Amino acid sequence: MKYVRCLHAAAAIALIAASLVAGCAAPAPEKPPPAAAAPPYRPVASIREVMNSVIDPSVDEVWNSVGSTVDHKGLTDRAPTADDDWAQVRRHALIVSEAANLLLMHDRPVAPPGAPSLAPGVELTPEEIRSLIDKNPEGWDFYVQQFQDSLTPALAAIDAKNAQALFDAGEKIDETCENCHATFWYPKAVASSR
Amino acid sequence: MKKTTLVLFAAGVLCAVQPAQAHHAFAAEYDSDKPVTLSGTLTKMDWVNPHGWLYMDTKQPDGTVKHWTIETSGPNQMSRRGLKKTDFKAGMSVTVKGYQGIKDPALANGRTLVLADGRSFYIGSVGGPNDGADR
Repeated sequence: MKYVRCLHAAAAIALIAASLVAGCAAPAPEKPPPAAAAPPYRPVASIREVMNSVIDPSVDEVWNSVGSTVDHKGLTDRAPTADDDWAQVRRHALIVSEAANLLLMHDRPVAPPGAPSLAPGVELTPEEIRSLIDKNPEGWDFYVQQFQDSLTPALAAIDAKNAQALFDAGEKIDETCENCHATFWYPKAVASSR
Repeated sequence: MKKTTLVLFAAGVLCAVQPAQAHHAFAAEYDSDKPVTLSGTLTKMDWVNPHGWLYMDTKQPDGTVKHWTIETSGPNQMSRRGLKKTDFKAGMSVTVKGYQGIKDPALANGRTLVLADGRSFYIGSVGGPNDGADR
């Protein structure tokens, strides 16, 4: 009986030892480093189309929400008044702010294939714009983020329902638009006007 | 009938504010070789970002009236130069110097505005020709 117990113990020790040896002798194969994964997003529109279809219409809503008109009726100020009005402007400000992220996707084409310059001789061709972006991607990101940051005061003004602050923020938004356009869209026109 | 009313209403709403313009270079929209001096009557002024707009009528040599639309710089820029929205009245006489539009001959980019009381303001936007109007 004692002999049988010894046999069992010896078998167990042998099994454990074999397992340890096997474990040391054949290490688990290392996982290959992950290949550069393709980004999960898929740009559909070009930069020009994002500007024309997403950013421009919404930033115009932000700009036009506050202002004044003088006509035969006199001076009329306009600004959002009801909560729904402010909510509507906020939606547009958010669209613009988030749409800036779309411009940071560097594989997004500048314009649809074969699209020409919108103002030949003044504004660059899509190929020339792409070349400028590729030569200066950090500059592109900087200007886009500057643009996105310019929406922060606008959103704060909207949340505070402060029409004058929203009006003032509108000027800053325009400045950041112009900074980027002058650098990447029509640098020659800017240089010749100086 | 309802459809027509809806379309007209929509058109009215769209016309209530200045139609949006894409952000283009000055030279893409205005001809720096076509300076204009317009003297006439202000009919409307929009004090709005990113650019203000003046609307004025001028009498043509043949007696007809031409309706001009004039782009200005941003309203806060004009404010910093001393021009206020309360300086404007419909029907007042104004003189605008600027540059004519390339595609639209009734469009101009304003550089200087002279009010009826003789005060003069620079109203030009970024990217215009270096003509000294801003000095």
